[in-house]
Amino acid sequence: MHSELCSIKGNRDGLVITIMDSARFSEVLTTLDRQLKSAQSFFAGASAKVMLKQGELGPEQLDSLEQLLAVYGMTLDREPPRLQQPVSEKLAVERPERQERGYEPENTLLVRRTIRSGQSLHYDGNVVVLGDVNPGAEVICTGDILVLGSLRGVAHAGAEGEVDATVFAFRLEPTQLRIAHLIARAPDGKVTKPAGPEVARIVGNTIEVSIYNH
Amino acid sequence: MGKVIVITSGKGGVGKTTTTANIGAGLASLGNKVCLVDTDIGLRNLDVVLGLENRIVYDLLDVVEGNCRLRQALIKDKQYGENLVLLPAAQTREKDAVKPEQMLELVKELREMYDFVLLDSPAGIEHGFKNAIVGADAAIVVTTPEVSAVRDADRIIGLLEAAELYEPQLIINRVRPDMVRKGDMMDISDIDDILRIKILGVVPDDEDIIVSTNRGEPIVNDKRSKAGQAFRNICRRILGEEVPFLELQERKMLNWFKKILSGEAR
Ligand SMILES: Nc1ncnc2c1ncn2[C@@H]1O[C@H](COP(=O)(O)OP(=O)(O)OP(=O)(O)O)[C@@H](O)[C@H]1O
Ligand SMILES: [Mg+2]
Repeated sequence: MHSELCSIKGNRDGLVITIMDSARFSEVLTTLDRQLKSAQSFFAGASAKVMLKQGELGPEQLDSLEQLLAVYGMTLDREPPRLQQPVSEKLAVERPERQERGYEPENTLLVRRTIRSGQSLHYDGNVVVLGDVNPGAEVICTGDILVLGSLRGVAHAGAEGEVDATVFAFRLEPTQLRIAHLIARAPDGKVTKPAGPEVARIVGNTIEVSIYNH
Repeated sequence: MGKVIVITSGKGGVGKTTTTANIGAGLASLGNKVCLVDTDIGLRNLDVVLGLENRIVYDLLDVVEGNCRLRQALIKDKQYGENLVLLPAAQTREKDAVKPEQMLELVKELREMYDFVLLDSPAGIEHGFKNAIVGADAAIVVTTPEVSAVRDADRIIGLLEAAELYEPQLIINRVRPDMVRKGDMMDISDIDDILRIKILGVVPDDEDIIVSTNRGEPIVNDKRSKAGQAFRNICRRILGEEVPFLELQERKMLNWFKKILSGEAR
């Protein structure tokens, strides 16, 4: 199908022409021509990069591409040797992480108090606590957990197996932390207090805690 | 109309009864009419701490069951007379002999007669807790500086909030400055960091309390005792005065107190 052969997309770096397979270069040109025509002068003045998913483009092919673009008032950015870079990887870097997730709970519960010892909160979705989660308290939910205070109790994010779920706290000092099927507990003995906001997520096969920077 | 304050804790034996007796005696000596109610049915001990055990004829259960008039059951204190009275707990019946509605009625009547009604509650979260808090306007939570006691205090604070008794205040009892200094005991800021409720007072661990309890005389008016001083300060704070916290020979704590007083700590 032609639509799968190539595409033109704008992202924050500018215009990107993605070509699936250089082996079908003449077909690509025809398709591009049609697409640019239907876009009218929408792309005029723009500079486009090329991304190749498969194969190689020789200088002659780049020349013909450049000529085609010129018809529509566009230029070709030949500089960055981005060819060969798989599209999917590129997208993984460029897109914010959340869009990659297979499961994104819609519901978010806002709790405007401290959850105290003996109290247990279960929720189907994300939970945001405007307060603390004290030792002896627990928060269990299917999505992410955000504590805008100290998290010292037990937190279980992604309780139905969502491995991309995260736990964030201004002070992350949980008794126990669970994400999906993984469990991490506080180290025994005295622990140095976290200096600032931290986030826990699954990396590989363990829960990792890192300093939060957006 | 008087104020009804329940004195409660999560963990047992942290000093509720001691606190109730001392705040009661302290408020009475400052000129208030005070009634102490022992709601700890089955384990009565407020009468012992006040040295009034031998004067009990009727108790709380007799009052709610109509076996006597309320005034007949109120025992006058040896020292403060009319200004400090005790309504003793029933000793023999089961814990749920008194219903919350009956308790509410009783408290209503007492608050018409006294400036302060202090309810000494049983530890924990069972039936007795409900009875003790039902008519209260305010709550004082007592804890010791131990992890388990603080944990249980947190639990009680949660229950008080759920029962719409908001803004309970905290008394930290049996603090040992020497142990805090060595890092062997939670310090005040550690406790405040978790519970985050207003601290009404900090009472040092004091052998004289045991002596005074055995003698049946509250320590609050013993001018030489640090614990007595701490209870006097608590009473003045209850009456709305701003009283600086005691220096328990502990610098770190003192600095922290200065911070709370100047409002920096919260
Ligand atoms: N500041 C203190 N210093 C030394 N001893 C204390 C202090 N406070 C309380 N005690 C002692 O601790 C013991 C328990 O105190 P108290 O009976 O007041 O606790 P409680 O919370 O009422 O207990 P319960 O839960 O059984 O009702 C008593 O022997 C008392 O004398
Ligand atoms: Mg007691």
